[in-house]
Amino acid sequence: MPLRPFRLAPAALAVLALATLPAGAQPAPQPGGVLRIAIDTDPQCLDPQQAGNNNSLNVGRQITDSLTDQRPDTGALVPWLAASWSVSADNLEFTFQLRDDASFSDGTPVDAAAVKANLEGIVKLGARASLGAGYLAGLREVRIPDSRTVTVAFAAPNIQFLQATSTMSLGLLAPATLARSAEERCQGQLVGSGPFTVARFVHNQQVRLNRRDDYAWPSALARHQGRAHLEGIEYRVIPESGVRTGSLVSRQIDVNASVPPQDERLLLAQQLPVLARANPGLVYSFFPNEADPLLRDPLLRQAIVKAVNRAELQSIISRFQAPASAVLAKTTPLYSDLSALLAHDPDGSRQLLEEAGWRPGQGGIRERDGQRLVIRLSYWQSTPFLELVQQQLRAVGIDLQLNRTTISQVTALRDSGSYQLQFFNLTRADPDILRAVFGSSGRNVNNRAAAPVDALLQASSAELDPTRRRDLVAQAERALIEAGHVIPLVELSTVIATGKNVHGLDYEASSRLQLYDTWLGR
Amino acid sequence: MADPLTLAAIAAPRRPLPWLALASAALLALVLGWGLAPWLFTATDPLRGVPLQALQPPSAAHWFGTDHLGRDILARTIHGSATSLQATGLAVLVALLGGAPIGLLAGFFGGRLDAVLMRAVDVLMAIPSLLLSMAIVTVLGFGTVEIAVAVGLSAVAAFARLARGEALRWRHAVFVEAGLAAGVGIPATILRHVLPHAAGPVLALAALEFGSAVLAVSSLSFLGFGAPPPQPEWGLLIAEGRNYLAVAWWYTTLPGLVVLLVVLAANQLARHAQDRGQDRGGPR
Repeated sequence: MPLRPFRLAPAALAVLALATLPAGAQPAPQPGGVLRIAIDTDPQCLDPQQAGNNNSLNVGRQITDSLTDQRPDTGALVPWLAASWSVSADNLEFTFQLRDDASFSDGTPVDAAAVKANLEGIVKLGARASLGAGYLAGLREVRIPDSRTVTVAFAAPNIQFLQATSTMSLGLLAPATLARSAEERCQGQLVGSGPFTVARFVHNQQVRLNRRDDYAWPSALARHQGRAHLEGIEYRVIPESGVRTGSLVSRQIDVNASVPPQDERLLLAQQLPVLARANPGLVYSFFPNEADPLLRDPLLRQAIVKAVNRAELQSIISRFQAPASAVLAKTTPLYSDLSALLAHDPDGSRQLLEEAGWRPGQGGIRERDGQRLVIRLSYWQSTPFLELVQQQLRAVGIDLQLNRTTISQVTALRDSGSYQLQFFNLTRADPDILRAVFGSSGRNVNNRAAAPVDALLQASSAELDPTRRRDLVAQAERALIEAGHVIPLVELSTVIATGKNVHGLDYEASSRLQLYDTWLGR
Repeated sequence: MADPLTLAAIAAPRRPLPWLALASAALLALVLGWGLAPWLFTATDPLRGVPLQALQPPSAAHWFGTDHLGRDILARTIHGSATSLQATGLAVLVALLGGAPIGLLAGFFGGRLDAVLMRAVDVLMAIPSLLLSMAIVTVLGFGTVEIAVAVGLSAVAAFARLARGEALRWRHAVFVEAGLAAGVGIPATILRHVLPHAAGPVLALAALEFGSAVLAVSSLSFLGFGAPPPQPEWGLLIAEGRNYLAVAWWYTTLPGLVVLLVVLAANQLARHAQDRGQDRGGPR
């Protein structure tokens, strides 16, 4: 499958070059030391099979291994726990040959039975495995002819599955961990086969990981063998971005995993290495709840799509970030530019609102039958551009009320179904994310009934030929935007900054951190 | 009255510099003006962001600079004073109306009623007031009015204690005893003879409490219990600016200075009122 190599802004490339230049002629990695990483929110749940937010997935990446790994530059898959694999001609069956030296940190081997238990366990987790269960949709059976061979069979062609095996959402946990309750696993009762193990998890404070000394099965992308260089990793929850930046500059932390746009210039001026990579997958978007009496109306949803001035958002987001030009981010394989559908058209938006019966009312907010056009959004991310979107919607007469709260409150609202809009992005290096999120038989983020767009989504994930698939993906995106099932806003870029003593820190293919090769200079 | 010489000798060292009280009064009047008629002080829309002018330092066009969306911070501070001051005023009113009657009744009747009411007040005083108001606002829900009620309720105890002390003091004054003996009804005695005398210190406390209520209201809105965006509110402005401290010092500093000055001015005025009240004297 030809995959687009990911592109970085020229500025980012220059910065990356700067970051590696002082290293000169590749100094030898030094072992030892604890890497202190500042993150902006509590990871909530450490289990990578259940987690959805980037902070917890970043922790999960260090404690679990996957069957395969994905090259961040080409998107090609390489061996990890699976030494080799094959795909049946009809794309229904995937057979993996496991390497025979890997073990979980409780000593049990990573064998075919463990893989089977994990895959079936994720399906059983259902909605709790918000990402993983989607990757495994349509799983028919897992066969284990011998202790090193696993065959995963699907009911329908599932070409995204192979890429999914490289994510931590399908990372492997020990059978003893699978026997625990989902809540216990969230709190850090996790045994994986990764280069680090969980030592301590204190909510809203820190996550401490320790190195596993007998680790010897890194992915084919790793730059060294044996145990990790770092002795341990300490994630510290620091919600205030100014404190994260100050802590980095004063060397109280080694990595700031969430650099806000306003601090980039300051960090660059300090000549601290800044690494940026656009996250592939769904861009930051509004996802309307179409069970809501207001947002059931496609005219209103389309009016919102047209009312957003995406070009204006550029001036307050990061220099490494771009406004949305499609439902998928540019770094996603098979991306197509659909920015023509996302043009700013306030007049068109007003016209749609008039058609829907919304007339100008008091204070510039439209009304219909005495009801004001108020849409409420609860969100938890630090995304100031939402206030600008609020202002843009107000210009056409829509009152978007913003309520910034905690992840757990947002999750509770989502589960209760009493919300109008959801706001999030979803990182995934495969366009199948569209079917998983929007499909009425998948996550069905819009709470809508089955519609013709479902057939398009299904087709786009079953097509084998990349050129035709790119076309189908673009058609599906077009249909989603035109019906207002999604209101794309801004691409997410992960921007991190490190101290000058941090070496070998890289993004993996889904723009999360792989810390196995990372080491601290003295 | 006393010999004018003695009076001058007593009053002179105790009287605070009058310009300080005057300046405080002027500042409070200005901020009240902001709250009542913000459009007289700024023509800029506090909600309209101009992204291309984001994070501009203070200048002739934007005295307080601009925020991360290019909104004028002075305009936001001025318009924010309406919400913040209303909340503060409401909080003081709730505390005054809730606390003073409790104290008056307890002090006037004494005995078992006094014991019960004052033990309840003791319990309230044992809880740190910010913690108490956070607990209350969590129950009431988020919003400016809710914050005001919460801050007010948490200050009820202070008013109750002071009012009780004053009531106790005047309850046994000769003219009150005489009135009661002459057959004046209890409600009339409380309202006409005890309350007017007790009111001075209680109102001085209200002025003092105004300063700490500004702080408490701002603290709660700083913590995110207050108005939702894009409404400006002092505490919220300071909280939003936190993330920009390294690159935009003015964002948090200038609204913060306004809050600081208002609190200082309110305290200064309260001190002044208290001193004047003491000059007038009473049975001691």
